[in-house]
Amino acid sequence: MNTATPLQKIRKALCALLVIILLLPAARLAALAQEAKQPDADAEGESVTGFRLERLPVAEGAELLTIFGKLGSDNGGEEAPLLSVLRDTLGDEERENDLLRYVWTFSYTRPTLTQRAAAAVPFLYNRVGNKKSAGKDAPPPLLDLAASRQAVWNKLFWNALQNVLFDSGGFAVKASSRAYRRNHSDYRKAHIVRALAILSLYQSETGAEPVFTDVEKREIGARLLLTDKALGGYVDDIYLERYYQKQSSETLDVRGHNWELLRQRAEAEKLYFEPLALPDGSATHALLWVARSDLERYRGRRFNGRFLNIANPWRDGRLRKWKGYVETRHFDAESRPVPPATPGAQAVELIPLAIYGLDHPKIPILLVDFRDALNPKKREASRRATEDVARNVLLLSRFGDLYYFLGRAVYDFVTDRRGVDINQPSRFRAYSQLKLLLSLSEGIAPQLREDVGERLERVSLNPLENDTEAEVKLARAQYEALMEYARRPDGLAAQIERDRGAEMVKLAHGRAARVFLRAANILSFGFYTHREEVTPELRARLGLNRALAHHRRFLREVVKSTPQIEVVWNVDEVRRSLQFIADHAAEVDGDTAQLAARVFAATEDDAARRLALDCLYRINSKRAKRELVKVYMDERLEARWRELSAEYLRLAVREQQRISSSDVKAISLTIGH
Amino acid sequence: MGNRQHPSGKLGKAITVAVILGLLASAPAMAQARRVVVIKVDGLPYRMVERFVHETDPRTGKSRLPWMKRLFYDQGTRLANFYVRGMSLSAPSWNLLDTGQHLQIKGNVEYDRYTLYSYDYLNFFPFFLNNALSRREDMPSAELLDELGIPLLIDAYGENERFQSYQLNQRGVGWLTLQKALTNRFTSRSPRELLDEWTMGLDARGLPLEQFEREIVGRLDDPAYRYLDYYTTEFDHATHHNRDRDTHLRALQNVDALIGRIWTAIERSPLADETALVVVSDHGTNTDERVYSQGYSLIELLRSAAGGGHHVLTKRRPLMDYSIKGAYPFVPLITTTSKESYYLKDESADYPTALLDFDGNERASIHLRDSDLNLLHILFQQLARKDLSPQVRQAANRAFFATVERRRAEWEKMLAEMREELGALRREIDRQSAMLAVLKSNGATRSESRRNRESVRLAARVSFWQTQERGYAEYIGALSRLLALRGEGFDPRRLKVEELIPRRSMGDGNTIHQLQNYVVGVAAGGLALAGDGSLDMEKSFRRVDYFSLLGRITVRNNVQKGIANRPVDFVAVRVPREALAGALNADELPDQDAIWLYGAGDRQALILARQAQSGELSLRYLPIAYLTGQADGAVRFQRIGWKESLPLKLWEDEKLRAPESDRARWLNEWHTELEWLRAAHETEYANAIIGLHEQFARHPTASLDAARPGLSQDERLLARFRARQRRLVEADLLILANNHWNFDVRGFNPGGNHGSFFRVSTHSTLMFVGGENTGIRRGAVIEEPYDSLSFVPTIFRLTGQLPNGEITPALWQDGFRQFPGRIIEELFDPAKQTPPPVAGSSADNR
Repeated sequence: MNTATPLQKIRKALCALLVIILLLPAARLAALAQEAKQPDADAEGESVTGFRLERLPVAEGAELLTIFGKLGSDNGGEEAPLLSVLRDTLGDEERENDLLRYVWTFSYTRPTLTQRAAAAVPFLYNRVGNKKSAGKDAPPPLLDLAASRQAVWNKLFWNALQNVLFDSGGFAVKASSRAYRRNHSDYRKAHIVRALAILSLYQSETGAEPVFTDVEKREIGARLLLTDKALGGYVDDIYLERYYQKQSSETLDVRGHNWELLRQRAEAEKLYFEPLALPDGSATHALLWVARSDLERYRGRRFNGRFLNIANPWRDGRLRKWKGYVETRHFDAESRPVPPATPGAQAVELIPLAIYGLDHPKIPILLVDFRDALNPKKREASRRATEDVARNVLLLSRFGDLYYFLGRAVYDFVTDRRGVDINQPSRFRAYSQLKLLLSLSEGIAPQLREDVGERLERVSLNPLENDTEAEVKLARAQYEALMEYARRPDGLAAQIERDRGAEMVKLAHGRAARVFLRAANILSFGFYTHREEVTPELRARLGLNRALAHHRRFLREVVKSTPQIEVVWNVDEVRRSLQFIADHAAEVDGDTAQLAARVFAATEDDAARRLALDCLYRINSKRAKRELVKVYMDERLEARWRELSAEYLRLAVREQQRISSSDVKAISLTIGH
Repeated sequence: MGNRQHPSGKLGKAITVAVILGLLASAPAMAQARRVVVIKVDGLPYRMVERFVHETDPRTGKSRLPWMKRLFYDQGTRLANFYVRGMSLSAPSWNLLDTGQHLQIKGNVEYDRYTLYSYDYLNFFPFFLNNALSRREDMPSAELLDELGIPLLIDAYGENERFQSYQLNQRGVGWLTLQKALTNRFTSRSPRELLDEWTMGLDARGLPLEQFEREIVGRLDDPAYRYLDYYTTEFDHATHHNRDRDTHLRALQNVDALIGRIWTAIERSPLADETALVVVSDHGTNTDERVYSQGYSLIELLRSAAGGGHHVLTKRRPLMDYSIKGAYPFVPLITTTSKESYYLKDESADYPTALLDFDGNERASIHLRDSDLNLLHILFQQLARKDLSPQVRQAANRAFFATVERRRAEWEKMLAEMREELGALRREIDRQSAMLAVLKSNGATRSESRRNRESVRLAARVSFWQTQERGYAEYIGALSRLLALRGEGFDPRRLKVEELIPRRSMGDGNTIHQLQNYVVGVAAGGLALAGDGSLDMEKSFRRVDYFSLLGRITVRNNVQKGIANRPVDFVAVRVPREALAGALNADELPDQDAIWLYGAGDRQALILARQAQSGELSLRYLPIAYLTGQADGAVRFQRIGWKESLPLKLWEDEKLRAPESDRARWLNEWHTELEWLRAAHETEYANAIIGLHEQFARHPTASLDAARPGLSQDERLLARFRARQRRLVEADLLILANNHWNFDVRGFNPGGNHGSFFRVSTHSTLMFVGGENTGIRRGAVIEEPYDSLSFVPTIFRLTGQLPNGEITPALWQDGFRQFPGRIIEELFDPAKQTPPPVAGSSADNR
């Protein structure tokens, strides 16, 4: 007899649905038939250290920008595709209506069935093998830059679903779903970190004319970084540059501190410190060595393992019998590493002890311990295990149990404050970067690189991860698949059209309808997305809308940055944006009118002021006229501006533009008709 | 006839023309600012301003620092060569800038050797707390300057005429500012903006700064305000933490935007034409995009057996950000215990033997306990042992009392003087306490808030004196008991060491001889007897030569190009004038203490100074080697010729503007400080010779001058007491870091540091712009080098408060006295020519 309540039935159904979603490859992008057009790849300049950008036109007015990097010599020394960004240009030369859309990192792939199943196994902190083949489907994009808000809603929805439904479905469902989501999230974050690193390297390395504008580069960077924040997708575009710069500074700050901390600790413990740099010279990791000759010299010496988190080398019998990798380095009288032939150079045989990531908050994070392969894994797993046991086994939650909340807060404060190496934010960022470093850097000896690579794979906690070798193969295959997808008429071009159709919803529907359509999208797990049919008229409006958004954003940035525009900005650019808005005043709203008024107040340039007033006149909204009235009323202004605003107001009244009754009254009383 | 004029008509015309010409000529002098707005930017190097101003932002087509470019490059005047005079360190530098008088505060932290009282000039937290509790009205540096009778620039303006933001020489706390900062943060932004801010991370540090800006802008509408300042350390923080160009640029662009907003508000204010906007910085900073600044821990050196096994006191917690206690903002003195102490194991609480101040980080000051106190302490411990042979015991006993006798005269003199001074201090405390009672009860003639502030100030001063009185009494008590000991029947087992050797005290400063033979413990073989049965003082004790020790430090991890593996550049110490008497020729003799610079045994120098009757300072650099201090206090050294790698590297510096043909002769001569400044300011160490003198010299002020006529006996004693207190904060060793090295142990400053005498760290920023009537030149750059002493007199010249270089009665009344610095006349007078460099030379010709 079936005694399940309707609620339980729904729960079961949703759980089944979840399993299907977990096991199914990600939903394939639907196809729209399009005229096939063979795109031609156009290679941009290559930098000295091997970064190259390829520009591939896509049918329906878009381009795919792909960054290639040269791999280390033991990876064949060949170049591999690293990252692609899709720019929707609407098929014209106007940069102002371009829209950046998808970001792909080619090592980011859809996991295999086995990987997905393993990712859902609680307490399985291990890799389960590689994905062998990328398949022929287009690779999954890492991020849609133009749909950052959508990601926020998706995240909220899944969190709600987890807490309301899965968490109440018993240990198995709760633990499995949480483990899967965590692994999936970590896998994605790791590739976001890698995407950021690639972009940063490309920016600093390429000598060619930049393909991304500064604004675009920072926008991509900031949007990638903001994926970590709950409401990151909602951050106003004008803050993106500031946020990106702030985060970049913080990363460099952390890196510098860790570099110096590790150097000082190495010095104090009589070890050798070697920074490991990416091709652009930025040291993101460091290696610690011990000199074989010092093992006897300092035998039995005290060792302060705080921050280093490795065993005392001076009391370690394993090192005296070391059969692993060694390297002989030469140093001059000032302890500088020099080539062996340097006169007076002293040879020192070095044994590697550990590799640390320098971008980790607070302390350098141990990634490889050459004497104890499980040491980093234990440290990483400590936090995961603590969280998993508390949440899944003991059913404790920070928000549901005050004592747990307090205890955890104190524990976290102490470990964080003291820089204890356990219970720290996950190391996947540092691992991800190290993988990139191993792939790209020429500075590491091949044998050591291989050794480190193998150790890294053993340390990985995430069943969704592939090893470095597999990633290179997958990247190449996924790149080919993406290219193929871009060439197919029913491929990327069709996807772009569909995306434009979705983007046009805001042009065709009011706010309430849009909220309804958004809800439908979320509740259908993304299977239903409302799209407009792309007509030439709508397409033109879309271009205009994007261009207006570009000019509004520019003007908002301008007025926010300075009280006197012409001191800081090229006033021609400001005039151009005002002119564009004035020319398309029918398409803009009261917010834009307010923006024009702020420009008027912050400039002394006659032409810009005239244009600002012209905008206020042409924008048919109550706020625009209210702003004109304010200008007229401002006695500090020169008479000519007040007269001009009066003239515009008279015209507006005559043309029966939208004006509030109080403003009409004020106009008729003070200005007349 | 028609063209002939009456003689009287001609005369009249001539007079008229003369009057007009006279008026025109004096026009610049008459122009003056009625209001000054000063933006104080901590650690802003001029080279960075210069670099970014001249870079074009591709997005805007304008300068990367558009406001600075417009205001100070196009419409105002900037100084291309403005230097801090002294160490490039915030507290001393702002002390110079805010007073216009010679340096009295010699570090961000100063320690009283006798009492270990620490003057922490940077820590805002205790000040804010005490202010909230009505126990303190001024930051410690302002309190000290009050004690020394040196007014601050803001003291020239009444309380209703000035606005001061939070800063090192702060008077009072604007609590309302903090409150408004919080409320305005939420009310001045839309919910959407607040949400974005929350998502991106709230900037708590910017909270009060934003409010200060609002308050300055608001007050500009009130013509009563004549002085407003805004102090920011954001740029300094950025350069300490990060070395990258983008971070520096962004921090500087924030300053630039602030300048733009304030200038716009000035332009819209009623006093626009008579308002001057000044940007000033206290020092530069040594930051390089290609290099991480590397730290070296002097604490670890001093704690080590090789370094003497000291228990080390600091006012900054080592690895502060990595300790739980580091979260506590009211930092007490921090003791870092040595496990390798030779004779004071487990006694770190009572007997720390080293004090370290490493702030700024390119330099550190070390106080070591009087080596003779160590000697007595060790002998006391040895004599307390039961296993000493009678001969050794007798010899140790004799050595103990011989040491006491050797110091007796000096200590007895000090004790007698201090007893007198403490007596006078007690009477002053009583007097001031009585006055405090009156002030608290009688406020009829003053406003309530002013009365409160004055009484809080007085109460703080009395409380400080009482603390000092107790501390000194403890010290002189122990020393008196030590001097009262007699050899006969002396049995340390019946005595407690703390009754004789003052606890938590460094005692007197060490001589060079002591620092070269510093006693840190008993020799490995124990006390040894000489042939005559006396204690062999050489063999019985472990000793450290600190100069050699510091000069020998090297590191094994030298992974950055262009960085030396030696963290220490040179060590500077005072050499008493008398110590040099037998070693110098008559024409070399200084009239004040000299400074010994130790680079290595064979690379040393003496900086000699003498002052003409006119007050003009002359300095001389004498290259020497192998200086040794003698037990009698004298020094001996070897004279050497000029060569490369001497301290300050003048000989090899191509930018030294000395005659090419006879550089050695020029360098071997006495030169006035102005000649040195003009000749050396572009070298790697810029004005280091003058800066070192400023740092080491004891600069007299009226309140330190016991010989001033008209003083009562107590006033005389108190002046002597104050002078003694200033001497007691003088460190034994000033250690300067090599390029791109630092001594920070509180955390890590990989971005960059300052504190040294490198030009990159001392080269600072000073720029002016003003309304039509201020007389400030437009689009001018002043190449003539100036230093921090010029700032205050130039501001007063700008505001007409220093007519003809003379102090107005109003300023005199406020305590201002003659300023030693030169007024920057080129700021006002286009005709003023920059004097040529030293005759016959030109760095440009090289």
